[in-house]
Amino acid sequence: MSSVKDKSTPPLYWRSLEERARDPELLERLRHEFADRDPGEPSSQDRRRFMQVMGASLAFGAATGCRWQEDKLMPFTRTPEGMVPGVPSYYNTAMELNGHSVGLRVKSYDGRPIKIEGNPLHKDSQGAASAIAQAAILELYDPDRSRTPMQVQGGQAAPTSLAEFKKFARKHFSEVMSQRGEGLRVLTTRTSSPSFKDMKARFGALFPLAKWMEYEPVSDVNARAGSVLAFGSVHRAHYAFDKAKVILSLDADFLGIEPNSVSHSRLFASTRVPESETMSRLYAVESALSITGCSADHRLPLRSELIKAFTAALDYQVSQRLAPPAGLGVAQPMPAAPFLADAEVKKFFDALVKDLVANAGSSVVVAGCSQPAEVHALVHRLNAVLGNVPNTVSYTQLDSTDTRTDEQLMQQLADEIKAGRVSTVLCLDTNPVYNAPGSADFKSLLAKVKTTVHIGRYFDETARLSSFHAPLCHFLETWSDGLSWDGGVTLVQPLIAPLHESICPLEFLASVIRDSETTSLGIVRRTHREVIRDDRTWRAAVHDGAIPGTEAKRVTPELRAFGVFGFAVNELGEMNVGNGKLEISLALDSHLHDGRFANNGWLMECPDPVTKLTWDNAVLVNPGTAKELGIQNGALVEVSVAERHITVPALLSPGQAKGSLRLALGYGRTSAGVVAGNINAAEDARADSVGVNAFALRGPGLWHFGSGATVKNSGKSFPLATTQDKHGIDPIGQKGTEDRLPLIVRETTFEKYKEEPDFAKHKVHHPPLLSLWEEPVQYDGHRWGMSVDLNKCTGCGACVIACQAENNIPVVGKDRVMMGREMQWMRIDRYFSGDSDTPKVSNQPVMCQQCEHAPCEQVCPVGATQHNHEGLNDMTYNRCIGTRYCSNNCPYKVRRFNYFNFHEDMKQERNQVKGMVFNPEVTVRSRGVMEKCTYCVQRINLVKIDARNNQRDLVDGEIQTACQQTCPTGAIVFGDLNDKSSHVAQLQGRPRSYALLEELNIRPRTQYLAQVRNPNPELG
Amino acid sequence: MATSAEYLQWQAEPKGDNALARITDNVVRVVETPRPPAAWYIALAISISWVGIFGAVVGYLFWEGVGIYGNMNPVAWGWPIVNFVFWVGIGHAGTLISAILFLFRQQWRTAINRAAEAMTIFAVICALLFPGIHIGRPWLPYWMLPIPNQMDLWPQFRSPLDWDIFAVSTYFTVSLMFWYMGLLPDLATIRDRATTTVRRLIYGMLAMGWRGSSRHWHRYERAYLILAALSTPLVLSVHSVVSFDFATAQLPGWHTTIFPPYFVAGAIFSGFAMVVTLLVPAREFFGLKRVIEIRHLENMNKIILATGTMVGYAYGMEFFIAWYSGSDYEVFTFFNRAFGPYAWAYWTMVSCNVIFPQLFWFKKIRTSLPAMMVICVLVNVGMWFERFVIICTSLSRDFLPAAWGYYIPTPFDFLTFLGSFGVFFTLFLLFCRYLPMVAVAEVKGVAASGDH
Repeated sequence: MSSVKDKSTPPLYWRSLEERARDPELLERLRHEFADRDPGEPSSQDRRRFMQVMGASLAFGAATGCRWQEDKLMPFTRTPEGMVPGVPSYYNTAMELNGHSVGLRVKSYDGRPIKIEGNPLHKDSQGAASAIAQAAILELYDPDRSRTPMQVQGGQAAPTSLAEFKKFARKHFSEVMSQRGEGLRVLTTRTSSPSFKDMKARFGALFPLAKWMEYEPVSDVNARAGSVLAFGSVHRAHYAFDKAKVILSLDADFLGIEPNSVSHSRLFASTRVPESETMSRLYAVESALSITGCSADHRLPLRSELIKAFTAALDYQVSQRLAPPAGLGVAQPMPAAPFLADAEVKKFFDALVKDLVANAGSSVVVAGCSQPAEVHALVHRLNAVLGNVPNTVSYTQLDSTDTRTDEQLMQQLADEIKAGRVSTVLCLDTNPVYNAPGSADFKSLLAKVKTTVHIGRYFDETARLSSFHAPLCHFLETWSDGLSWDGGVTLVQPLIAPLHESICPLEFLASVIRDSETTSLGIVRRTHREVIRDDRTWRAAVHDGAIPGTEAKRVTPELRAFGVFGFAVNELGEMNVGNGKLEISLALDSHLHDGRFANNGWLMECPDPVTKLTWDNAVLVNPGTAKELGIQNGALVEVSVAERHITVPALLSPGQAKGSLRLALGYGRTSAGVVAGNINAAEDARADSVGVNAFALRGPGLWHFGSGATVKNSGKSFPLATTQDKHGIDPIGQKGTEDRLPLIVRETTFEKYKEEPDFAKHKVHHPPLLSLWEEPVQYDGHRWGMSVDLNKCTGCGACVIACQAENNIPVVGKDRVMMGREMQWMRIDRYFSGDSDTPKVSNQPVMCQQCEHAPCEQVCPVGATQHNHEGLNDMTYNRCIGTRYCSNNCPYKVRRFNYFNFHEDMKQERNQVKGMVFNPEVTVRSRGVMEKCTYCVQRINLVKIDARNNQRDLVDGEIQTACQQTCPTGAIVFGDLNDKSSHVAQLQGRPRSYALLEELNIRPRTQYLAQVRNPNPELG
Repeated sequence: MATSAEYLQWQAEPKGDNALARITDNVVRVVETPRPPAAWYIALAISISWVGIFGAVVGYLFWEGVGIYGNMNPVAWGWPIVNFVFWVGIGHAGTLISAILFLFRQQWRTAINRAAEAMTIFAVICALLFPGIHIGRPWLPYWMLPIPNQMDLWPQFRSPLDWDIFAVSTYFTVSLMFWYMGLLPDLATIRDRATTTVRRLIYGMLAMGWRGSSRHWHRYERAYLILAALSTPLVLSVHSVVSFDFATAQLPGWHTTIFPPYFVAGAIFSGFAMVVTLLVPAREFFGLKRVIEIRHLENMNKIILATGTMVGYAYGMEFFIAWYSGSDYEVFTFFNRAFGPYAWAYWTMVSCNVIFPQLFWFKKIRTSLPAMMVICVLVNVGMWFERFVIICTSLSRDFLPAAWGYYIPTPFDFLTFLGSFGVFFTLFLLFCRYLPMVAVAEVKGVAASGDH
């Protein structure tokens, strides 16, 4: 018997002869664990080597997979803590436009932002957002956005890589830096961003000879200049419309296209509640009918050029009556303007002066951005004389002292280029080839510049003529900051990693100046490090979207006496002028702004609040003036100003001042995208220009407005796509409209309202509205209803975009809008009353009224539209076969039909990104089915599910429809009518609440609060 | 009873079995002749090319969507529904002639009932083409039918569109049975006279074993009477139900209690006009002047005159009721109809339907072939416009002025309508060639009664 421990004994079992022979070489090899490999060899996997390789792989993976890795934006391969798939999260951010930032809240599903709303924590937004801000989400996913850097060589643009661009930029800007920035001009949009300002300062230190220009086609520079005239320094006026009893707007669309309109609308609307003791009275003096003009109690159509004299006269008269202290200087003398003697103007003027004086201290006078500095200075004086400061008007000081106008800025740049002093132009997020004045001919100027670098979101007109173009990231893809209207800092945080190979502006600047901070987060954090030191406070600020306590201090600047202003001949004209002397005003488009949002289908198809025009701009003409000029609706006319001509369709616009033309900027893009026009693009993205480029008319003497325009009818006509009054209205239709309008939009005056608050109930008399059958449903759970306050609605159209974004509503295109196939679930019906020169305007948002006796339901042969137990009129898209009978039987005509597959284009690879904007809570409808407003049923159910899960009751106001959520004036209120204490139930219980077409016994759940105007009794 | 020169001539000719044989010859000859007239080939070629157009348009519609038509908001029903109602209306004459005139013992109907019934069936086929293709998802019209399914989904029976389904399909089925049963003796005649095996076999099968025994005849007569009694209410019901599509809606201009009788009168009006339009050339081409006589056509024209006047009354009454109702929306709708943007359509309708048929008061005109042809074509035009006026003008301007619009059809609307005529004429031409155009057995019955 042998011991197992006996080493001398050969093993019983052996694997090889060597083993059996106990070969020492073999025994030595067997001692090592990984016998075949040398631990020193590179391929071997020792611990250190393993760590090295894995470390490098991770670094590679991170570097190639996500360049934002350090910013913690990562794909959800590892679910972040607390993330529930399919449950949206919200992030506060901000959007800057025209040097003013508004707080936004973005809804994001599984890392995919899908909807923009106002930031409820932001003082100006309070949950509301303008149409433009909300539509920015569509721009994020615009397939036409520039996706790769482009290099132009020999007139041919060729795609290149971001690395290539960075290499070029590093080399080029080092060279420029070595020459201390000689010949470098940086052109950007106006921005209030503190980080940008900081980078600009750093840039200036390294490129002392370079010039940085902030250009906006329409900016508040006149207001700044006016403030310098009045106070000697740049101040911004803040208007407390909520405290005002009398408001005068001088060409100021403060509820519409002027900055901070969301906040202004809310403040203004808060004074338009007839149930309260008082109501404000709004006077508007303006050339073109604006949103503000539509809401005005009295409106005087006056050419913009005459407003200066009007203001001077006002200054004179008000000062006469109030005898202001000597410190405020002397008033302007009464200008000798013939138009002031016009009976209508005089009547308006006298009543206005009286009203202003009577309400001195609680009135507000506002001047529009387009008005010259003198008007702004006079308005500052008027507010001071009226004692409105600081009660209704307060000021904050701006740190900028630059009051050069955008016109001067462009002129200077043009002169310098012509003189050959410019060798590099860096266009950062700006498109001067399109939006520079036509007289500057920027296109040929740019050819004289050796190197043009364009960084923008689109491969636009300027990009095409640049030597290098790089895509710019969207504001939802980067960190940044900005200043609110009141000077408070807002923070911009990214919601998604850049979709394309794009550059963040701050990071680009950092790379140019070789900044130690290379990320935009780092730069923004650095900018505010002095205010916020610890990370916890910083995270709280990012969460809230703003840094608290940073608002500018309200001051009362001392008014300086200014001299007597001179007037040009045309500024003291008659009420009417003939052809050749016509005034033309160029203004921002209500939705496309200056054209930078032109490729946004939602904005392009959103009807203009006043003209209801989509997919075009048109020169607006007073109907009387049009008659004198021999122009009909839709006639193609040639408008000439000082040898500059454009041919544009005319649109007769009630309320337009006599002898005045209005044309919106922002159209006629040639390299925007498939929506707005891209005439040089590749086959699959080519599109004709939409509208006419009004910048071509700009030049000396015509910036915002100018006189001496000539109109010539070409004899041709051009089809315009309006969503209302298509094909004009014949006398019979006109009469029919006039007859029924008082029943549809019920209105009265404040005085009469006080006598008869329930006047709206007596407009239509009908027999008792009984039911033919026993009601099958008692609605004893929730009874959803809506109240729309016609007195608060300004018609801005933000709700239309909110609805479109929330409910995945397609854009259909001009031809289909012309046919009447637009898909927006809600429309804002705009009616004129009175004469065509000074019409009164009523806006009425109309969406599905969720009738209890819904006529649509009874006629559907397949039961695709049914009533639910909460009274909603539900659409079952799957069941709908598209007989369209429901639409015929709907008295409000709020149903929309998918005549085609409006998402057909998403089959193309380049368009697939469009799908990212869809709200996953809402079905994307196929071709051939009917759709309509659902009261945002998905929002109702989301809250109901949450309430049930938490075993709690619903709280009134917890469920907000998309339109309600974004309405700045709170005109739309939704809720449970069974809850007698709910806001909506109380509003519907108000005496002026009425149901539209109630006499049809369809029992609509939506009711309207009748309009109550507050006219001056003297003006009747 | 009015007599024409031709009738007198026929009266003078030999009577008895010879005469009966002549009738058979006259009618069946068309089926038996080896080559029909060249005009038939030309007409068929044109018709079939129109059918081709119809197929192409419908193919495109399936591919692209119903948006190829001019429908829009607010006019969600356009030409396809106008055409549907138009064709259903045309399809009224046949059954009326077969059933109601049969029950009223109007013997002159025998000359025209076969062709009129065929026309009815073809018109209803044309009508049925439209609802299916005008819907948004044209592959799903069967969802309107009560087909049991695992999801327990049923049509919504409160919808007049579902009533339409039942009304029109019942009407179609009964009309088809009525027509086919009437054909049996004549098909047997053709079978018996067949000179080729193929013809004998085909007509033999179609004749379903008809032997002409007394028992056959007895059952035939009973069944004919029962079907006539069944069809009679259908004539009134089908267009009443179609009119409910509009009458039960609340749209001003649609919501009218006068619609059922007004639609039925209009349907008979247009149906008779179409019969005259078809028979005048048919009797010319196929040598049937002695069977389909002027007096028959004259009787038809009298009915056209009567129903046209009823329709005119309805037009006037609509205006009166609109005014009398006190509803501003109603008043406006009718005012707008007559003087608004679609006034041209309204006055086309009034002149074609009310004014021109009044010429039939004159015997000369109602017995003149060219005159009746022109007037009947105009009546058909007018009746098409009547549906257009009711559907499109009412929809284009309803309650809220902001939602108003103006409907403009597209070329595809025109082509589909043309295509439906192609389907109609193709079927009618094939009928003329392959089936006896006149009910031989019935005409004999009437002719013989005069002699025995």
